[in-house]
Amino acid sequence: MSAGRFFWLGQSIGFRSGESVASALMRAIPADLGADANGSELRYFCGIGACQNCLVVIDGTVIESCLTPAADGQVVAPPGGAND
Amino acid sequence: MTDAGLECDALVVGGGAAGVSAAAALASAGYRVELAEQRAALGGAYHRQPLDAADLRYRPRGVRAWSALMRDLTAAGVTPLCRHVFLGLDQDGLAMLDDRAGRRVVAVRARAIVLAVGAIEKVLPRPGWQMAGVTTAGGLQMLLKETGEVPPGDILIAGSGPLTLALAADLVRVGRPPLVVVEAGDPVARAASALGLAAFPGLLGEAAAHLARLLTSQTRWLRGATVTRIERADGRLVATVTGRRGAVSTLAADLIALHDGIRPNDFGLPAQPGGEPLVVRAGDCREALGIAAASADGRAAAEAVIAALSGAPPSVAPKAIERQRRAQGILKRLFAPVAGREVMAGLPDETIICRCEGRTAGDLRGLLAGADQPGLREIKLNGRFGMGLCQGRFCADNVRAFVAAQRPSNDISTTALSRDRWPLKPVSIASLIADHTPEGQ
Repeated sequence: MSAGRFFWLGQSIGFRSGESVASALMRAIPADLGADANGSELRYFCGIGACQNCLVVIDGTVIESCLTPAADGQVVAPPGGAND
Repeated sequence: MTDAGLECDALVVGGGAAGVSAAAALASAGYRVELAEQRAALGGAYHRQPLDAADLRYRPRGVRAWSALMRDLTAAGVTPLCRHVFLGLDQDGLAMLDDRAGRRVVAVRARAIVLAVGAIEKVLPRPGWQMAGVTTAGGLQMLLKETGEVPPGDILIAGSGPLTLALAADLVRVGRPPLVVVEAGDPVARAASALGLAAFPGLLGEAAAHLARLLTSQTRWLRGATVTRIERADGRLVATVTGRRGAVSTLAADLIALHDGIRPNDFGLPAQPGGEPLVVRAGDCREALGIAAASADGRAAAEAVIAALSGAPPSVAPKAIERQRRAQGILKRLFAPVAGREVMAGLPDETIICRCEGRTAGDLRGLLAGADQPGLREIKLNGRFGMGLCQGRFCADNVRAFVAAQRPSNDISTTALSRDRWPLKPVSIASLIADHTPEGQ
């Protein structure tokens, strides 16, 4: 069922084919994703790209994890400090 | 500025029912259409497509309607631009799309733009609502629709409106009934409003099916109650539930899904009535009438565009829209919260109102107590409410309600907190620099 794995703070997260980064993160660690750039708890919230609560950094870009398909070997990081 | 951007007659933004219906109607009328969708697949919120249909342990709603829409779209020859996020219109009237896969911004010159970016959920503030593990009810439903499952742990649903019941029923169907559904209204006691639903057998049937699922799974539906506080203890979320006459209890869960209705996702959208390009809104972002009106509204938007581009007389609004307006009115009365304005006025000072900027009810009280009687514009610029990354999508309504509760005579609009501005979403400088503008610009 796993289409690949990406890395979240050193942790390897499995995902299904076509699955978003947020969805895979929610299955693995639903309530402990650390802090976002403003110090609020990073979280999956609206699921439709509106709330910006699930922003992460992928390939140097701050992006909504709920809109972004996971890719094998991808490094995903919390946005703290990355967009200052 | 290397090669050409895109040129078309109509750019449709949003690949849900309204957008797909508008794009299909425009293309089949002979217009050159581009359809931009922010996700990797069409569907919008209601028709969110499963990763693998074979994994679903239940049949999703609306499968036939969506297949028909997709058939129309394909027959009309429209190939959607997926993972293209609409950023807004630049000063020359070019629509800017962030091509997330190509990592560049694409400029689209269109004679008309149909915005069909759907609805967002309203979520009322309460201490702790900003924590991880708290989602919107729709957000949890998106995970369920896409993967056929929800994250592990006990789920509590709280807020108001039919979507809380739909989510609860879906959770029952996958063997994960919620601990409880906490409903601020009391639809059962509002029999007069409920009678009005008799004119809408589809809605009534859906509601009955949801309630039947709750009953058979013995899921509690606690009406006239609200979750007034969420705290974290021992790695779980603990909800304080305040019921009628102030009865208070606590309940521990792993996930809390909040939902207090829906509203148009119209924050920061360009409005150019009569301007160039013509901008028309369709579906829930025009008026939150739900899936039953979305396709008809998309077609109506397409007809308005065709009328403007061809000089033909505009057609009248379809009956389906007026009908759904009545249905939504009934639902709103049916689910009207038992407790009124005092809820907002009584929020503890530490309650986060604007999560993006970490601004609290106490901060807002302090601002409002100032001698200069700040308007919404000052509340935004000085108080930083609605200034954050979500552009006020999740706090502007609440700030407005909070201010209105303190100054009942002085009604103000939510849009003062979220004016027309772009980019609508964060975009990388690298993508902006790599933009593609139509030739001849």
